[in-house]
Amino acid sequence: MPHATPAPVANRLLGALPRQVQQRMQQRCEPVELVYGEVLCESGEHIRHVYFPTSGFISLVTVLKSKSSLEVGLIGDEGMLGVSLALGVDTSPVRALVQGSGSALRMPAAIFRSELERSPALRHDLDRYIHVLLAQLAQTAACTCFHVIEARLARWLLMTHDRAHADHFYLTHALLSEMLGVRRSGVTRAAGELQKRKLIHYSRGDVTILDRKGLERASCECYAAVVADYGRFFG
Amino acid sequence: MKLGHVLYESGIALQHIYFPADCIVSLLYVMENGASAEIAVVGNEGMVGVSLFMGGETTPSRAVVQSAGHAYRLKGELLKAEFGRSGATQHLLLRYTQALLTQMAQTAVCNRHHTVEQQLCRWLLLSLDRLSDNNLTMTQELIANMLGVRREGVTEAAGRLQASGLISYSRGKITVLDRPRLERKVCECYAVVKKESDRLLPDTMAS
Repeated sequence: MPHATPAPVANRLLGALPRQVQQRMQQRCEPVELVYGEVLCESGEHIRHVYFPTSGFISLVTVLKSKSSLEVGLIGDEGMLGVSLALGVDTSPVRALVQGSGSALRMPAAIFRSELERSPALRHDLDRYIHVLLAQLAQTAACTCFHVIEARLARWLLMTHDRAHADHFYLTHALLSEMLGVRRSGVTRAAGELQKRKLIHYSRGDVTILDRKGLERASCECYAAVVADYGRFFG
Repeated sequence: MKLGHVLYESGIALQHIYFPADCIVSLLYVMENGASAEIAVVGNEGMVGVSLFMGGETTPSRAVVQSAGHAYRLKGELLKAEFGRSGATQHLLLRYTQALLTQMAQTAVCNRHHTVEQQLCRWLLLSLDRLSDNNLTMTQELIANMLGVRREGVTEAAGRLQASGLISYSRGKITVLDRPRLERKVCECYAVVKKESDRLLPDTMAS
């Protein structure tokens, strides 16, 4: 088979750009490793870099003074960290925490801003992505009001599964409780229930997805809604 | 714009955008079973229809008039053309989008961790900031829909605020009697949203 087509860009947001813009962007990025648990940006802090994950993924977390928190967005190879810059603001409204180790392409904020000014295609791409992020946020706000922990955990595992590109990943109880904004005992019960139904295997932080279809049925409607929304723009 | 009027449903293509003058519009996320929760509130500091210039065409939320009054309406095409010129309008609208993003993230965490009473205080203060007087016309049913909680929860919370002399509530009319105490009772979420809006939109948040 001839190898006429070059390797696709490993970040889908960059991959959706016209070839020329894509190449320029890649040239201006440096590859970096994302390390599990690393905070890339605190809420209120200046954004120094934007990140286009290629295999790692990043949680956006809102933290209260009491340290209670809630995940309001998850960014993997379908998106980017630092959209505030595209909105003309150089601080982050949320904490960005690496959730899955892996790689990303990183670009300094100033270069990103100048690229944005010179490329209408990049602007267009990002506006749509911001729209998708806003929809994800809205969905999350409503989801936390109405859906039980088990359904929310299933949703969360599916979103993570999509970005981990593996059936196996590492997640502690503490982290899950921070992401879902519930007590650890609640996480234990919900994970136990999913395990009893043979949808996942969970032991000491190691999660294995056993039955993805079953997990989709166990999730609230919010998972499918967010995936459909992204598919409409970047499908 | 009358109380309860739906400016647009979620998933419908947007024809117009709205700039509230003295009315307040609530953005609600609606679940498949009809249950809804407010994700943001928009008054004369902002606009309704951000999705339109963000290339979304349709919106993920329902927009409902939460306090009657007037608004300016603009054809979507005109706004898009103006936005495309990359000038001051685009700059302002993008910053407003960031303020909206902050409000939505804070609302999500507030829904999760704070009591109905705290959420009600936040909601009252955010509304008050967008009104010219201290009176809100509002049924408990509507408030319950906004906060995504049961009506009894709202009745209890409003009853407690009334008993402590912070508000008076009668026949669908809420009057805020003691704003400073309401500000002491509210969770941090009110200040976070207000501060960020003031910072991002210094010219529109003059009140």
